[in-house]
Amino acid sequence: LSEKNEPEWLSEEVKTGTTILAIEFDGGVVLGSDSRVSAGASVVNRVMNKLSQLHDKIYCALSGSAADAQTIAEVVNYQLDVHSMEIGEDPQVRSAATLVRNISYKYKEELSAHLIVAGWDRRKGGQVYATLNGLLTRQPFAVGGSGSSYVYGFVDAEYRKGMSKEECQKFVVSTLSLAMNRDGSSGGVAYLVTIDEHCTEEKVILGNDLPTFYDQ
Amino acid sequence: MSRGSNAGFDRHITIFSPEGRLYQVEYAFKAISQSGLTTVGVRGSDTVVVVTQKKVPDKLLDSTTVTNVFKLTPRIGCVMTGHNADSRSQVHRARVEAGEWKYKFGYDISADMLCRRLADISQVYTQNAEMRPLGCCMILAAIDPLQGPVLYKCDPAGYYCGFRATAVGAKQTEANSYLEKKLKKKPELTHDRMAISCLSSVLSLDFKATELEIGVVTKDKPKFRTLTEAEIEAHLIAIAERE
Repeated sequence: LSEKNEPEWLSEEVKTGTTILAIEFDGGVVLGSDSRVSAGASVVNRVMNKLSQLHDKIYCALSGSAADAQTIAEVVNYQLDVHSMEIGEDPQVRSAATLVRNISYKYKEELSAHLIVAGWDRRKGGQVYATLNGLLTRQPFAVGGSGSSYVYGFVDAEYRKGMSKEECQKFVVSTLSLAMNRDGSSGGVAYLVTIDEHCTEEKVILGNDLPTFYDQ
Repeated sequence: MSRGSNAGFDRHITIFSPEGRLYQVEYAFKAISQSGLTTVGVRGSDTVVVVTQKKVPDKLLDSTTVTNVFKLTPRIGCVMTGHNADSRSQVHRARVEAGEWKYKFGYDISADMLCRRLADISQVYTQNAEMRPLGCCMILAAIDPLQGPVLYKCDPAGYYCGFRATAVGAKQTEANSYLEKKLKKKPELTHDRMAISCLSSVLSLDFKATELEIGVVTKDKPKFRTLTEAEIEAHLIAIAERE
């Protein structure tokens, strides 16, 4: 006699299905994410901001298991708080990425999360780091999450070196829009964070303001 | 219990003497004056200022690397008086404690909680035989979101409390009496000037901008910062003109 009193989504792991990406431009970075959090087939949060702040000018994009990713971001935020006090200046983006990578690698069997770390620092300007599975690599742009598979072709074809800040923002929004259209685990609104030497800007782009493509 | 049953260990480790004193803790206080420096902290209606002497005796030393004023969190700063290595250790511990609090509870630690935590840690050293108390005293300055400007001090005995103004170091008794007199007369003087004037009159020294370190928090600029040499110079000139 099986008891099925509990709805299925209560026992499903909460994943941020997700599309996340970050791209570097001369003088800064742009990060983007969708906002859907799913537990199985249910959307448990349709407006979650997956761009988490690690420090004033360093953000990370969360994907994979929601709890794992959030926890990693919170721990690294704590470590960077103390670290920046000790060194007496803003931490390097590479330091933040290394801290994330060290946790991802050490607990790679227990955790299931991929964080893209991006930000601006004095020494190297805008930087994007991928930390998938515990590696650390700097890239001109990085995509992640389940939705990323649907847009590899688009990003590979459309990316050009030397794009301006506005072109990068358009690039990110278009990529997110395409991925959210095709990936069942991505959707909702698009969150954008633009970081440069002078400011850190957070923006939300609502569903109907997203760019449309051939089928809309 | 016969007298002297401690066999003289009460001076060597932190246990009670027959008169009920903790000699090691008292020696720790003496260690603070050893460095020969004096520090003053003053709290006003919208500012908190901490001032300390900067003595770089050796010409070979790079004076930009010598400091006794430290940032513990973006909004809480401190000035350390006493044994340099112990000071650094306490500052590091304070930074970690503040970071842990923010991580655990999700909001910034307040200056009084941080001071209490450090005082509690210092108290443990007065009870453990295997550890000695730290030979340094920390004065914290911050703008508390609820209370406004606050000035706290914690010492090797594990005692802490908030102050309107306080002094620590070699000339602390003279400095404290000066501050008491001034506060009785005029409770709201501009505090950076008061703190500097206090130090110079107590030490009978006319300071140069390079011989002082000043840390400030104000209500408009609640982030703790240290004044640059130019800013200190401006204050010294203003004091000189007033006289």
